[in-house]
Amino acid sequence: MLQLVQSDLELVVKSGFLYLPLLYDPDIAREIQYKPPPGGSTERLIEVAGKHFIKSVSIQSILTNMEEIDNDYYGQLQRECLRKFPMSPTLEGISTDSKLMTLLLKVMPYFVRKNKGFARKRLHDEELLDFLGDRIDIPQSFREQADKYLDSKPLLQRLNDLERLEQKVEALHDGLISVEILGRWLHKSLEVQIVDKEIARLKKRLRDRELLTEAQRNHFCTLMYIAEKGALEIDGFGFYRLGSGDDYLVYKRTGEYILKDYYARSYLFPDCRVGVPTMRPFKPMVLEPYKHPFLQGYTSRQEICMKEFKPPDEFTADNIIRLLEEGINALLYGYDARRRNGYHSLDPTRHYIKTIEFEDYRINSDELHEV
Amino acid sequence: MTDAETKKALETEESQEILPLILEIMPGHAAEGLIDIYEPGSYEGRTLRKLCERTLSKKKWSIEEQLIIEDITRQLQGGKLLCSGHEIEGTALEYAVTEQTEAGEKYLYVPIRAIKPQEGGIWQ
Repeated sequence: MLQLVQSDLELVVKSGFLYLPLLYDPDIAREIQYKPPPGGSTERLIEVAGKHFIKSVSIQSILTNMEEIDNDYYGQLQRECLRKFPMSPTLEGISTDSKLMTLLLKVMPYFVRKNKGFARKRLHDEELLDFLGDRIDIPQSFREQADKYLDSKPLLQRLNDLERLEQKVEALHDGLISVEILGRWLHKSLEVQIVDKEIARLKKRLRDRELLTEAQRNHFCTLMYIAEKGALEIDGFGFYRLGSGDDYLVYKRTGEYILKDYYARSYLFPDCRVGVPTMRPFKPMVLEPYKHPFLQGYTSRQEICMKEFKPPDEFTADNIIRLLEEGINALLYGYDARRRNGYHSLDPTRHYIKTIEFEDYRINSDELHEV
Repeated sequence: MTDAETKKALETEESQEILPLILEIMPGHAAEGLIDIYEPGSYEGRTLRKLCERTLSKKKWSIEEQLIIEDITRQLQGGKLLCSGHEIEGTALEYAVTEQTEAGEKYLYVPIRAIKPQEGGIWQ
């Protein structure tokens, strides 16, 4: 369609349909002789200014389906058109399909103790948000800021600005039309359509907002606070934002743990955070400067060396949980003292190259009992 | 349990008392697992492994608890039951700590993890 619009053809508009020029050769000339009588409902072929045109698509269907026909073009037009009326990035960050929401409602519940006593009830989203609200301290100033968003004024302002545009496009008149003029008309009509859709979306959002209960307002405030802060840690599980988008480094603390060497001597390893990014490559790493037989050096953000590890292709809650567990399991349970698997051995061997040493982690039996 | 006072059961006088045993089997590094309660007299003389097998083979569970069992089963395909970082062996009392409910009722608690070990060391 766009290729057509970029050409220098002349087209015909008739009864809401676009007619394209008919290629003319002897076969087509013969077929034209058998054309149905003019004015019929099946009038597929028309003659204008001595040229023949064939019926093609409905102009309205092009407008209605442009988002599917050419998603990139439509998206670009939408961004250009709505750029003058920006939304708060915080509000966009807490949309239901954001990675932040997946981390809060799907990943975090796995690693954090939510139930009191011995009940093992799976919490609904609202209950999880209540739980989060209880566990984090939201400053009063922020609550006031959230109230400002919820008082609907910014949305109303945006709605008023859009409605003030009052864009209208005249319908195309029947007759010959150049491709250039048709292209400009389509562009303008799509702009009007985008604005109308945005107005409808805002009106629905305002109606929803009026129905918010006190509890939902608190949930909104909690989500907005986490989205704005971009970081959270509860019971050793946490995440922090990478850059300014919707990507995060998710982590789980290991706590202290003990590994044994070939001679069954114990080594006490300090707590560390095993983390996974929410974007490719999905590989578990240790976030702080750390040493371990499965880490090559002694720096931060080192990938954990794991046998037969195959990183997943996409971000899902299950994949993030699995990756964090695999990383922690490798550190805590993956070292085989007999085979001394890994970059380094806990006990120095004859062929040992002194790069990373673990002598400072060695503990005696008295210390072991204390642990 | 978060507010409960914990003490190593074997080192305290409570070990001499008759207390119920709470077994919690957690899949992987999940914070919450499957809870099973053994009344006094029903766990003594049995190994911890036997108790775990008995718990996992019970059919009484709710839908939520069945999902946890599925998770545990997945981890145990090539995995192990660990307590305090070690593979379980011996009796439950050897691993139990004494805790008490908010109402002040004492019980013995044994947390167990079903872990699917991830071997490290071979770079790909």
